[in-house]
Amino acid sequence: MQKILKFFQTIFLIDLLKGMWVTLKYTPQPAFTFQYPDERRPVSPRFRGLLRLQVEPESGAQTCIVCDQCAKACPDDLIDLGGHREPGLKIKVLDYFDFNLSRCSFCGLCSEVCPTKPVKALIMSEDYELGSYNRDLQILRVDEMYDGVPIENYSR
Amino acid sequence: MGLIEQRFDDNIITTNLDKILNWARRSSLWPLGFGLACCAIEMMAASASRFDISRFGAEVFRASPRQADLMIVAGTVTKKMAPVLRRLYDQMPEPKWVISMGSCSNAGGPFPTYSVLQGVDKIVPVDVYISGCPPRPEALLYGLMRLQDKIRKENTVLRKARVIKSGQSEPVLVEDRG
Repeated sequence: MQKILKFFQTIFLIDLLKGMWVTLKYTPQPAFTFQYPDERRPVSPRFRGLLRLQVEPESGAQTCIVCDQCAKACPDDLIDLGGHREPGLKIKVLDYFDFNLSRCSFCGLCSEVCPTKPVKALIMSEDYELGSYNRDLQILRVDEMYDGVPIENYSR
Repeated sequence: MGLIEQRFDDNIITTNLDKILNWARRSSLWPLGFGLACCAIEMMAASASRFDISRFGAEVFRASPRQADLMIVAGTVTKKMAPVLRRLYDQMPEPKWVISMGSCSNAGGPFPTYSVLQGVDKIVPVDVYISGCPPRPEALLYGLMRLQDKIRKENTVLRKARVIKSGQSEPVLVEDRG
């Protein structure tokens, strides 16, 4: 009995048809591919992208209080910042903020310890398109920290 | 390519030939399958159907360096692996490019130790550095497009060379290749 069943299965290509049926089920579905440069996948809210400094949204004033917490929290010592006091101002003025992107593992510890309220000075932004021709360009200075690295927009 | 490479001065025929060669080169970049760590998972995701690196003509991950144009160094390069990587790079045929993918191969990443190479550019010339830990598949595609941009600006038959000087992002034309 088993032998006859096996024989008919072989004759009528049952296993092949089973396999092709799976293929056929997927055929009418729309294409699964993201057309990336045109179509961008939304990132999740807790996504950790490039580190970025924020300013006060209305006035554009500096929010960073130069407390050096982020530099202390960084496990790889990638952040170097400094500032000076100015008479009449409550907070320190940020002079330089050097961030070595090349080693960064995007752990988010620096933005987690940032104490400024209500606007966080350091955030992990949603930028992930990071590509440079040169290793020197991966050390970000303070103006790039505010505006983000320039991203070339490609379209096809 | 040895017969025509860098033998001609600037005129319309050679520049158009350059355009054709660059078009052919940038639209069929065959990468060498060189996954070393977790970045390789994202590289595999980029080659799968969701992101589909074959839209850029770079889907044929070759197992042999003799058939590859592009080396995507995806992952931590240990000092034990470094001579192997250099040999594989030397075995690739001449128009060849290197993408350094992820923090580990860019600069050693979170491993400033005795056993990890601090940046793959110490042993091979890198064209595009992609930051991320690991970079998303989109970031790899972005780096690939940056590389295609770079190839578009290259000269093959022309006697001039485009050189990216340190600290600059755009290549400049240098008169003598030396």
